[in-house]
Amino acid sequence: MIDAFLQQFRASLRLHFRNRMALVYSYLFPTIFLIAFWVLYRYDRVPLARHMGELLTVTALGGACFGLPTTMVSERERGVWRRYRLAPVRTGTLLASTVASRYVLLVFAGLLQVALAMGVGMPLPNHPLDLWIAFSFVAFALLGLGLVIATLADNVPAVQALGQCIFLPMLIIGGVAVQLSSLPEWAQHVSAFFPGRYAVEAMQSSVTGQGLRVMGFSLVALLLIGLAGFLAGIRLFRWDAEERFARRGGKGWVAVALAAWAAVGLLAESRGRIGPIEIVTEYAGEPPRPPMNRTPAPPPAESPAPPAAAPGSASLPPLSTPPSLTAAEKAALAKDQPASKPSAAKGEPGKPAAPSPKQATPAPKPAPPSPQPATSSPQPSTTGPPPPLPEPASWQAVTPAHIDEIVFPRLPSDAGVVSPIAPLDETIDPDVESDLEEIRSRLVTWGPAGVADPVQRVRNVLYVAAVPDVFQMPLERYVPHIVFERLQADIPKDDLVKVLFWVATHPQGGDDSALDDLRSAGLKVNGPGDIDQTRERVMLYALKLLGRLVGKIPQ
Amino acid sequence: MSPKVIVRDLRKHYDGVEAARGVSFDIEDGEIFGLIGPNGAGKTTTLECVIGLRQPDAGTIEVCGIDARERPLEVKQKIGAALQTTALQDKITPREALALFASFYRQRTPVPELLERFGLAAKADAYFDTLSGGQRQRLALALAFVNRPELVFLDEPTSALDTQSRRDLHREILQMKADGHTVLLTTHYIDEAEALCDRIAVIHKGTIVAAGATRDLVGRSSALPAVSVAATQLLDRQTLSAIAGADDLVCDGRTARFHTADVNRAIEQLVAILSARGIGITELHVQKASLEDVFLELTSADAPAAEAP
Repeated sequence: MIDAFLQQFRASLRLHFRNRMALVYSYLFPTIFLIAFWVLYRYDRVPLARHMGELLTVTALGGACFGLPTTMVSERERGVWRRYRLAPVRTGTLLASTVASRYVLLVFAGLLQVALAMGVGMPLPNHPLDLWIAFSFVAFALLGLGLVIATLADNVPAVQALGQCIFLPMLIIGGVAVQLSSLPEWAQHVSAFFPGRYAVEAMQSSVTGQGLRVMGFSLVALLLIGLAGFLAGIRLFRWDAEERFARRGGKGWVAVALAAWAAVGLLAESRGRIGPIEIVTEYAGEPPRPPMNRTPAPPPAESPAPPAAAPGSASLPPLSTPPSLTAAEKAALAKDQPASKPSAAKGEPGKPAAPSPKQATPAPKPAPPSPQPATSSPQPSTTGPPPPLPEPASWQAVTPAHIDEIVFPRLPSDAGVVSPIAPLDETIDPDVESDLEEIRSRLVTWGPAGVADPVQRVRNVLYVAAVPDVFQMPLERYVPHIVFERLQADIPKDDLVKVLFWVATHPQGGDDSALDDLRSAGLKVNGPGDIDQTRERVMLYALKLLGRLVGKIPQ
Repeated sequence: MSPKVIVRDLRKHYDGVEAARGVSFDIEDGEIFGLIGPNGAGKTTTLECVIGLRQPDAGTIEVCGIDARERPLEVKQKIGAALQTTALQDKITPREALALFASFYRQRTPVPELLERFGLAAKADAYFDTLSGGQRQRLALALAFVNRPELVFLDEPTSALDTQSRRDLHREILQMKADGHTVLLTTHYIDEAEALCDRIAVIHKGTIVAAGATRDLVGRSSALPAVSVAATQLLDRQTLSAIAGADDLVCDGRTARFHTADVNRAIEQLVAILSARGIGITELHVQKASLEDVFLELTSADAPAAEAP
């Protein structure tokens, strides 16, 4: 029996790789999906990392909903299985080897996806072993579904029809291709009844989150759906196209498979597990922070009160919404390295590259030599922090002592990808230069740059530098100079120092409606959907310009 | 020695149609047994029930002393079968297919031996979708022999073959018998059954209507001998109708054919009539009742539906 299993297993793999259409469906389509995601989310700082759950789910869904049943049904339709049935081979052996070979093919496709993503800059997933386990659960659930499709469909066109009926809703309202957070509430409820979202959650958590230890529900859901699918698939199995499933109590077994979906959905409803799960929980308590040694600030007057930082942590007020930097990115930030360089996120072989939350915290290490050592900040972690200054109650209350707490050398490099600034003497491309001139002239009259509140005014002008950085526009490295000019021309230096400090220490404060009016400021785009990312860049540019203003960063 | 196959009162129906209505027959060790009947008579259904492709509604099937309904996998270990058409995956090669199917059995024939015996050595590594009809049928036969079967079932094995391939296959089937295999053959080619089979069962409307040695079956026929003539000039019905006792007279140009109970007298009259008109005879044949006559007699629309074998 084992020999039969192995022979059939090998034959299935061999035949798969000889079938051009199968290769197209198994490997080319997922690659196209990957490229599409890469293009769609090209402004992500770590390419594709946030979408691996979706990509791998699409790959598994394609292989399981179409690949497996298409092969099974076409062989059955042609009478290949009738020939098998003449031999003393058990149904279980044939099914097990068919499913096992399909699982291996899915793993190949998944590995290809991960390798391609890593090829374009994604770091090694946080928890590779968890990812494999999650992928196996996903494959189990979806192959069970594929088996049911194979037993229900009488012919290959029926597989396509039935597969699409499951594939497309799962993609669109099942939390696979469209993120749950973008779905209306009713669709989020619907998605709880589909395996797709649990597949995405479990795998995404393994790539960028805390792994499977927080994904128990998703794994149970996938297991339940898979078990029911396999049970129904085995009971409904037919060797011959002429044997209609309806004659063998088929409807009852289909109901069993569907009951598992319903049970999972109802369980999710009863536990209130309907909305999007924050996958990057590893980073939820780890907002990007300016390189400062400060105690938590009281809620600023201009913005809703942010949550307090973790007790004992030396940090600024954290972001009140999930941060968008990954651990790898933050580690890079902490080390003054360009975050999107893959090498910055790659760890030792066999060890997850992304650091743990603790590791992601800007390391309390001696600052690198500063060009102006006399004004460098102290090294609190190694020498013991000085007593923290009281938080300024308003921007006017900011003092030079507050400024002195900033460890400017820990800011991302000006030559990096995050918050870049070009050297002043760099030759500018003529096309870019004309765009910059446009921005320079428009900023003078741009409405948001003239609002009464100086803090909001500075914040608005900084948006003009932050958004090109988020979008990685060609002019991103030059706009900060224009913004700096504009701010210096508009606000007295002493005030500007205080306001920039205030903006940097209150990244979530103020109003962001100016983001919708950036075209009036001469940019070719308005603000991105990811406001938090833009606010982070505002914070970083505020600090970099502040450093230049007080002479702690050379021009 | 007990029969290799014993089938008793086999019944099978689909969608209200009874394809097998109490089929019973035995197959002796070492013989070629033919199951013949018109399309839809129930021969394939019967065969598929015996080899385990279908579950009969009722009846008993014993193959090589094993209850086929109770222990189908055991029976499959001992038999080989080639269906009317054998489908395999497009991109599998004969060598791979034989190795794969051999892995399902306890007893195995070496793959190179099978490739050689069934003339597939040159195509051993060609994909299935590049094989001709004859090569596919030979591969189907080779697959039936991967387990050194005691009993071989062949369902309409020559129906899709050209003349040369049919002759080759006939030789192969006779060789199977010479090698000591027992063979069950279903066919609707009467000449094939007559040439190959030791015993025949005629199935009609889901029932065995006659069974026995080929010669005995022909001997039991009530069909009259046939006389065929070809002449130097056109023959017409009016001229030949003068022959006493000529039934079913058919004239077609310079040829004519009729049945008669008294062959000698009919030929005398035929020669006399043609000579009187100056018409020469170029060919003259007398044919006694054939298996085809028996078959038509048994399977005609008004034939009795059942007869004990």
